Amino acid sequence: MKDVLLKKELFNGFVEALMNSYKVAAPTRRGDKSFAFNFITDPAEVCLDHIPTILPPKKYFLPQHETLLEYNTTEGQNMQAFVEIEPMVILGVHSCDIAGIQCLNHVFMDRPKDYHYQARHDKILLIGYECLRKCDQYASCGLMQTHTPTGGYDIFMTDMGDHYYFSINTFDGKSLVQLFDGFELADTAAEKTLKKLRSDKKKLFRNETDVSLAEIPSIFEWGFDSHVWDRTAEKCLSCGNCTNVCPTCYCFDVNDEPELNLAKGRRVRVWDSCQNETFAIIAGGENFRPKRAQRTRHRFFRKFKYPVMRYGKFFCTGCGRCSRQCMASINLKETISNLKRSWGEI
Amino acid sequence: MSAPKVAFFDLACCEGCQLQVANLGEELLDLLGHIEVVEFRELMSEKWDGEYDLAIIEGSVTNVEAEEKVKEIRSRSKMVMAYGACAVNGGINGIKNKTPMEENGRIVYGDRFKDYPSMPTKAVGDVIDVDYIVPGCPIYPPEFLKVLKSALAGLEYVIPDHAVCVECRFNENECMYEKGINCMGPITRAGCNSWCLNNGNRCYGCRGLLSNPNIHGARDVMKKYDLDPDVILKSIDMYNAAAGGKDE
Ligand code: SF4
Ligand code: SF4
Ligand code: SF4
Ligand code: SF4
Ligand code: SF4
Repeated sequence: MKDVLLKKELFNGFVEALMNSYKVAAPTRRGDKSFAFNFITDPAEVCLDHIPTILPPKKYFLPQHETLLEYNTTEGQNMQAFVEIEPMVILGVHSCDIAGIQCLNHVFMDRPKDYHYQARHDKILLIGYECLRKCDQYASCGLMQTHTPTGGYDIFMTDMGDHYYFSINTFDGKSLVQLFDGFELADTAAEKTLKKLRSDKKKLFRNETDVSLAEIPSIFEWGFDSHVWDRTAEKCLSCGNCTNVCPTCYCFDVNDEPELNLAKGRRVRVWDSCQNETFAIIAGGENFRPKRAQRTRHRFFRKFKYPVMRYGKFFCTGCGRCSRQCMASINLKETISNLKRSWGEI
Repeated sequence: MSAPKVAFFDLACCEGCQLQVANLGEELLDLLGHIEVVEFRELMSEKWDGEYDLAIIEGSVTNVEAEEKVKEIRSRSKMVMAYGACAVNGGINGIKNKTPMEENGRIVYGDRFKDYPSMPTKAVGDVIDVDYIVPGCPIYPPEFLKVLKSALAGLEYVIPDHAVCVECRFNENECMYEKGINCMGPITRAGCNSWCLNNGNRCYGCRGLLSNPNIHGARDVMKKYDLDPDVILKSIDMYNAAAGGKDE
């Protein structure tokens, strides 16, 4: 599919064209230092240049509270699956967040498939936006190699001065571009500029740690009993921020919520977190991760070891949200680094 | 099947939780279609002398009369719900437990304090068995309805034992600590849908402490943001003095 260019002054017109056909979510300003994806009503709300939003776009694929089915027990066990999603576009998604969605796709579209996730996934179109500099000291997209996209989007936009370069990856992406007639075909010069820009990025997005991606598996091979977990967890308040904001965390709980007549109601899935003390309580009251250190360790293993075994993939996108949001200053990069250094000190 | 008979009672409190119930609006009408309210001072003058299917008690026990009253309610009720911080863990009334009773009496009633006997604040659950609790000052109405439905269905209801931060994150609020404002969210039980944070306020811990809060950790966080933990943690006492905050 041929890539296209869009003059910057036409961008808002394109967004309006999208809004005429789709619900459009984009990063918007939330506070002095923070951003959040929201449905927009005006192109002026879009903040393409943002640091990772408080919650990643996973909230559209796996909402915080999601009705799975409605039940009615007046006529036996009548249950009706419930899916409510309109076609939508998420605009301005950074490559690390696209990588996060790719992780979730592995989990929910692997067999047995999660049909609610699938239904949402099929209705959501993604327009990415290229990072040309690292967002802040918390990011580790250099270590995780997620600063440049590797698929998983319909369109990916790159800022080229007075133009945006639109890399078109799918037929859906092409149909989005066709909604607006201000595009020009990307010429060879523009393609060259993109290539150059991407190779220059390698210098800007260097590994932020003294750990290499290649040695992470071995660190997590022996790191289970490291004292790092106890030391790190002393500070941890088990507030769950690090997991709720993580683009690759997907644990949930399922509750039935009856109406007042008690006969009808709905089944709701709600995000849960391994950092919550009650998370690992099973029938009989046994808790198999009662200690904070066990829970802290579990979070890291759930990023750097278990998914590698299951999906052959690290489940960290380097977005830095966990470290940015942790009021106790538990920092992902430092923790991995400390873990590496703790070898032999156990 | 006749509608379950439900009675509302109040002890030492500000009646703010009853007000939350009275203000339920349409949901109250829906509710009244499914239960028979036999006593509710805020809404009606009638009394009832039979058995209650569910007694809903607001306020703390602060004198002998109240102690006898809750025992009597228990003996006439199939199920008892304590609602509001005062009933659940003593709430604001617990502050008086920090000073000798005689001194409290003098401050409030002057020299005639002996005419108004009082005792250290107790939560309803300290005096009788309670089947359901709804914490908070005041209660969060949607949670009250959830607990009530569980009671009517005869199901257990477990109050969350994770931090208010969880709901605060779901609601995508900017963290108070990032703005240099202290917040009790990380050591307080969720269930209010981070009510105060959604409205631009901080969390005061009105729902009570987590069963295993990391108080040392919370102190370190406050210090990191140049806030004085000794002063701030006193705000936990505002609602939880009778429960006695423990460290770790
Ligand atoms: S973490 Fe890296 S890839 Fe993600 S938004 Fe920041 S700069 Fe971009
Ligand atoms: S955000 Fe920090 S304090 Fe909260 S659970 Fe995660 S590591 Fe612990
Ligand atoms: S572990 Fe932290 S840095 Fe990695 S994806 Fe999750 S929130 Fe982002
Ligand atoms: S504002 Fe308070 S409740 Fe919300 S995340 Fe921060 S500390 Fe937790
Ligand atoms: S946010 Fe805190 S103070 Fe406000 S209702 Fe919830 S627990 Fe109470």
